[in-house]
Amino acid sequence: MEAFLCTEDLCCQFGGVTATDCVCINFEESGLRSIIGPNGAGKTTFINIVTGRIPASSGRVIFQGKDITSKPTHELVKMGICRTFQITSVFRNLSVFENVRIAGQARRGGSLKVFSLKKNLREVTKQTWAILERLGLQDLAGEPAKNLAYGDQRVLEVAIAMAGGPSILFLDEPTAGMSPAETRRISELIQGLSEEISIVLIEHDMDLVMSISDAITVLHYGSIIAEGQPEEIRNNELVREAYLGKEG
Amino acid sequence: MDKHLTIPDKQPGFSLPTFVVIMIIIAGLAVFPFVITNRFYISLINEMLIYGLLAMSLDVLLGFTGLLSFMHNAYLGISAYAVGLFLIHVSPASLWLACLTGVFFTALVALPVGWVQVRTGGLAFALLTLAFGMMFHTIVWKWYGLTGGDDGLMGMPNPAISIFGWEIGHSGDPTAMYLLTLVVVTICYILTRRIIRSPFGAVLEAIRENEERAAFVGINVRMYKLLGWMLACTLAGVAGALFILYKGYIGPTTMSAFAGAGVLMMVLLGGMGTLWGPLVGAAIFIYIQDYISTMSEHWEIYLGIVVVFLVLFMPTGFVGLGGYLKRLKRG
Repeated sequence: MEAFLCTEDLCCQFGGVTATDCVCINFEESGLRSIIGPNGAGKTTFINIVTGRIPASSGRVIFQGKDITSKPTHELVKMGICRTFQITSVFRNLSVFENVRIAGQARRGGSLKVFSLKKNLREVTKQTWAILERLGLQDLAGEPAKNLAYGDQRVLEVAIAMAGGPSILFLDEPTAGMSPAETRRISELIQGLSEEISIVLIEHDMDLVMSISDAITVLHYGSIIAEGQPEEIRNNELVREAYLGKEG
Repeated sequence: MDKHLTIPDKQPGFSLPTFVVIMIIIAGLAVFPFVITNRFYISLINEMLIYGLLAMSLDVLLGFTGLLSFMHNAYLGISAYAVGLFLIHVSPASLWLACLTGVFFTALVALPVGWVQVRTGGLAFALLTLAFGMMFHTIVWKWYGLTGGDDGLMGMPNPAISIFGWEIGHSGDPTAMYLLTLVVVTICYILTRRIIRSPFGAVLEAIRENEERAAFVGINVRMYKLLGWMLACTLAGVAGALFILYKGYIGPTTMSAFAGAGVLMMVLLGGMGTLWGPLVGAAIFIYIQDYISTMSEHWEIYLGIVVVFLVLFMPTGFVGLGGYLKRLKRG
């Protein structure tokens, strides 16, 4: 069966360093797949290639049967491939509402309406409120993004990505630096989303990964060392070695 | 009202007090040439309005799209030369056709330039504007046969200004030109403000805030940067058409990098990202320039000192003055 999104022998070299080494992963149409691995395993590089942030050195990315390798970012987003960033990347001087709306507008069209009013994009406005309410940001709607607490900025990061109407969403360490309460809020959200769309999660919080993932891929030095359900990964010898080092 | 259809934005229209203030300013400017009939002051304010339009168009780039153009005056110049050459060589009486030609020609030149420039951002973009601007400056400066080189474009006719058959004067008449400028600048301001607060304007602001993230919400960043650039250059073209009609002359110094820095200062003096700030900034700049140049021919030195102080003590420009005074009052 044809995969929803898959990578074929995806490689990426920076100078002499191979950050991603012949990675083949199949992503399903829904559900939550986590990509884990020790620091420097090439997790972020991998999503950077798939989402068009950096070019692949070789290999292909196939989405719904189409080769999308090295397509421009904005086209990938319009196809439904969205992401969040490990280092918070929001529109700092725009309000929370504007942050989310611009993503909805870019997705649904209307950006070329030079003489129209923003409030006339009714569908976008409705969707924006719906997302803000779902993520509990509605009371901060008018606030400039830069004034938000760190945790709220991380949530906004996810809200912007959701407004793009993704069919596959790459989350790069969404809970990094969050309090336990905030992490719970995000993990519930991610689980809810994963019933509707395909979620790819990069995460260091092992408890979180093990409890919510449907499948896990483990990267080490740019290549896949294990793949499977949380239970299998937990007991995998190679994974233990990668994280803890070989026992003497 | 359904909350889901309201938006927590700045309203796109004018609030009543703002509207009243704007109407008073426009009315004041409109009756000005009939009260103070001194041609010198009429011309001075005319120049302020034209450079205000130019500075405002630069603000579309700098304050809203986040792109720095060192030589936005080049596009004023290109349009002015095109309008002048059209009136001299093609049709001395067709004022509107000349203006349209000038603005259209400016857009035509700006398109390939912009196409190259938007492939970059930040400092590289700014340096490219400088490089292209200096090329244009040199072309008009050295092409004696066409532009008159150093001497500038001479022999401009004074076409009649008629609106739907109603003749209000000719372009050599300061009052008629002044009124034409006032109307055109007002229309440009209202249109630009509307555009900036439209969904399209929101895209420009997103690019200013975070170009990479803008691409990752599905915005074709290059295309919208190019559209922003074209909007700014077209407005500069309108300013150029008004410029040559009012002066009856254009020389290469108007297109120099030095003059370009002046336009940039107008935007910073007024306060960028506000549209009306640069209009005020241009007025302040031209007033200072005019005032000091009556006392010393080395006016640039003194102007420089004034600008240094303004930048140090009013970093947000004139529009930030209100907040500054408030803070001062509170202690």
